[in-house]
Amino acid sequence: MDKPEFYQRLAEILDVEEVKPENVLKDFDVWDSLAILSVLAMADAKYGVSVKAEEIRSVVTAEDLANLVEAKRK
Amino acid sequence: MNFTFRRKRISGVLVVVPANERSFAEEMRNFNFPESRSLKLKEVMGYDKRRVVEPGVCVSDLAVFGLERLFEQKLLKREEIDALLLVTQTADHFMPATSSLIQGRLGLKQDMLCLDINQACAGFVIGLMQAFMLLEQESVNKVVLVNADVLSRKASPKDRNIYPLIGDGASITIVERDVADSVIHASVKMDGSRASALTIPAGGLRLPSSPETARLEDVGDNNLRAKDHVFMDGSAIFNFVQTEVPPLIKDLLARAGVAFEEVDYFLCHQPNRFMLEKLADKMKVPYARMPNNVVEHFGNSGSVTIPTVMAYNLRERLLREQFQVCLAGFGGGLAWSAMLLTLGKLAFNQIKEYK
Amino acid sequence: MKCTFKNKRISSIITVAPSQEFRFDDEYPYFKMTEAQAKRFKKMMSLDRHRIAPPDVCASDLCLFGVRQLLEAGVLKKEEISAILFISQTPDYILPPTSNVIHGKLGLGHDVVCLDINQGCAGFVVGLQQAFMLLEIPAVSKVLLLTGDTGSKQMTRENRLNYPINGDAGAATVVERCADGRTIFMDVKNDGSRHKALLIQGGGYRMPSSPETLKLREVEEGVVKCLEHVDMDGAAIFNFTMDDIPPQIEEVLALSGDTRDSIQYFFLHQPNPFIVTQMAQKMKLPPSKVPNNVVSLYGNCSSTTIPLNIALNCSELMRSETRRVCLSGFGVGLTWAAAVMDLGPLDYCKLVDYDSK
Repeated sequence: MDKPEFYQRLAEILDVEEVKPENVLKDFDVWDSLAILSVLAMADAKYGVSVKAEEIRSVVTAEDLANLVEAKRK
Repeated sequence: MNFTFRRKRISGVLVVVPANERSFAEEMRNFNFPESRSLKLKEVMGYDKRRVVEPGVCVSDLAVFGLERLFEQKLLKREEIDALLLVTQTADHFMPATSSLIQGRLGLKQDMLCLDINQACAGFVIGLMQAFMLLEQESVNKVVLVNADVLSRKASPKDRNIYPLIGDGASITIVERDVADSVIHASVKMDGSRASALTIPAGGLRLPSSPETARLEDVGDNNLRAKDHVFMDGSAIFNFVQTEVPPLIKDLLARAGVAFEEVDYFLCHQPNRFMLEKLADKMKVPYARMPNNVVEHFGNSGSVTIPTVMAYNLRERLLREQFQVCLAGFGGGLAWSAMLLTLGKLAFNQIKEYK
Repeated sequence: MKCTFKNKRISSIITVAPSQEFRFDDEYPYFKMTEAQAKRFKKMMSLDRHRIAPPDVCASDLCLFGVRQLLEAGVLKKEEISAILFISQTPDYILPPTSNVIHGKLGLGHDVVCLDINQGCAGFVVGLQQAFMLLEIPAVSKVLLLTGDTGSKQMTRENRLNYPINGDAGAATVVERCADGRTIFMDVKNDGSRHKALLIQGGGYRMPSSPETLKLREVEEGVVKCLEHVDMDGAAIFNFTMDDIPPQIEEVLALSGDTRDSIQYFFLHQPNPFIVTQMAQKMKLPPSKVPNNVVSLYGNCSSTTIPLNIALNCSELMRSETRRVCLSGFGVGLTWAAAVMDLGPLDYCKLVDYDSK
């Protein structure tokens, strides 16, 4: 999985210039139920994976999220 | 409205009654009536014992319990259930439907229909009609009809019109196709203009529940009732039953070409002993062919009383024999319904206690 | 559970929305949103306006108004009504059934079957299934399928998750027999193990109404609710719509021998435009076949979104021509139901405002 591309897509959703792997998702102003929906949609549309509501609630950093999506692609 | 169904049958019945039993003799102290009058009522109405759920017990609890007993006894397999119909007036929630909750709790398959139908005392016959209609579909082989209510939880302890007679319970009826070329005749009628004879005024969206609707009010007949409580206009219901039910049954039997004498049993909804005796008198049916003992042992559990009559009075016999029976359910809506069918031999016909 | 039906048709549709319209731009201060947040929310969910029923108007009122319009228009006669199906999660009463109340108000004869069925967003398709089954009975001539909800009464205005998207509405759909109709294909599925995605905890018998269940609390920023209000897990709903609905639609298409090309319209339930767009993309359906404007103009009105969608977008077309359509309802339960059938030409197809006079 192209991680830089993933972080770029995440940055678009979170309405920021850039997202680093170590960034904590909850720290973003815009990390709310809308953002979560956008992430679920992005995971499905761009990566063909279904991320579950419980799974997304348990990740902490952007890297956790990237790893989650990557693991599901296998 | 007349219905005819072919090649369908009831294959088993399980009734669930709460283990918790109350007696009229103990409870009558709550009423604003002298004891002597209450005792007279007891005799006429046939009140004695009734079964009611403990606080917090819901319809899905009774249904899950009953179905688990069937799974345990290998009388039913989870995968076989193609449709789960729940006929109730006392659902667990406004949403989701309680039949979905039951499906989830029991881990039933996804490829099935779950349907909650709000019906009162006509609900067993109406539920059976639903089941028969579903069985016309090729993919449907077994329908589980659950009738269940916990209406005691909405009866005012200070309302002598209703409190002593309400019982709680559930029944599970398995409905499937019949290899025999059997015919079932049924008839349903409705009259919403008389709906106010049996209502719960508050709790829906017309008048949501509030501290105001929970307040007991003196309704003028020496009874105390809240708008959250079930209200029954006893004499209106009595008149309704006497007027509408006999012609319904008469027409049904005429259509089927069956004489009254040929019906082995009239298995009717059990409102109270008095009403049913009067109905038998009017239809000139001997009491022996219209069992009338459910209220005194279990209470009036709405649409569950008909399967209770079957399981309580014909427990063994329905396993070994076949009978031509006429079912009749009537009450809230107002709705009245009757069905003529051959009943038995059942694979099971049980009563189990829920603790 | 699969079913097939022959020689049945929808003959009339009327959808009724409360006349009271509210715009998101005026309401967002109630949701404790900043202007920036509101802008983002509005954009993502394509919100604009919705209809909310006044306090004294219930779902049955909206449906009954629709029925009276049909009677007045002469496309339905009282004596033809053999059954009233009332599909709702916001009934007038728990006892008696609301379909009986409607029966009484219409002054119909006794030979009418009245059924209240507790269904939400899958309710139009489940209701159609009921109607088709009843029409197998010779004595049944026309079935009145009523869908209606006043979801606004199961939430506060100060609830950014639910209120902006909710719409109140009712519909009356007439279903009857026809000759030489093609086969109708349907499938219904249920999964109660995921029921927590859409739930009202209090008010039923599991958690009876009390001062405690009525107490309003701000459970998170901009969400004020009590235990008798809707609990919705948006992410779980999203998973459900993306995972379970496309396979069911594929299944029903395979059953009917149809393809994306042979189906002219996909009338999908509209939880919100964002989800519908995602679903359409996933199923590779051209947007022109998936009308997706109900929420923007009227709000998510539960089981009524499908008939409202048809009346809003295709009423003229459906009054004169026939189209092969796929209907898909999904939501609370969880229940999901899909149907492939011909629709049109309809005798009547309108979207009107409720008039209490």
